[in-house]
Amino acid sequence: MPTASFKTDLLGAIPSLRAFAVSLSQNADKADDLVQETLMKAWDKQSSFQLGTNLKAWLFTILRNEFYSQMRKRGREVQDTDGAMTARLAIHPEQDGMLDLEDFRSALDQLPPDQREAIILIGASGFSYEEAADICNCAVGTIKSRVSRARTRLHEILGVNDDSEYGPDAISTQVLGSGIP
Amino acid sequence: MNEAAATPKRPPRKRDNKDPLGANSEIARKLKQYYSSVVADEVPDRFAQLLNKLESAETPRDKG
Repeated sequence: MPTASFKTDLLGAIPSLRAFAVSLSQNADKADDLVQETLMKAWDKQSSFQLGTNLKAWLFTILRNEFYSQMRKRGREVQDTDGAMTARLAIHPEQDGMLDLEDFRSALDQLPPDQREAIILIGASGFSYEEAADICNCAVGTIKSRVSRARTRLHEILGVNDDSEYGPDAISTQVLGSGIP
Repeated sequence: MNEAAATPKRPPRKRDNKDPLGANSEIARKLKQYYSSVVADEVPDRFAQLLNKLESAETPRDKG
């Protein structure tokens, strides 16, 4: 691939790479370092990228590998102590039942890393289950069960009902319910 | 009597393995909202500069 177009494609992928990196590392500075490392690795490996395949998935894979290899190098258990602390902080939805974005982010941070990355890849980054499984180097069924557990856990942390699809019914139920002593 | 008519509940679809997230759930919508707010963040210049550097370091000996 001509270098110029590879470069343009990399530039275009940066916003989503940063978003994924923030989700993994939970820290904006670390995230940008991860993205930088990813771009350098991708540049070095550009001959191994197969034209016509999904560049974004390829880059996400590099970024994810980089993240976990840094974690291992630091010899640090993945986020465990922080997770145990924050798990005790319950979050309650606003009175109108809509979740505050900051509350949501904080709930997301409390998920185990494998569940968090799965739900981000599927629910936000727009990957298929097959692509997410490739990126995480695991089976499609594993991704599905991680997403499902992540969803359940988020419901618990955020105190929203399972299956609460925010249609008119769900909202009126909440309004009625909140008025009854 | 017709029990189905008396209970307007739809059959639970939670177990639907094709869509563990539930595309219309509040969680799914918040997730997208959260993610797009991060994606919309301004990208620092350092990345464009890095790629420029990598590009200019490339192949002076081989016009490829």
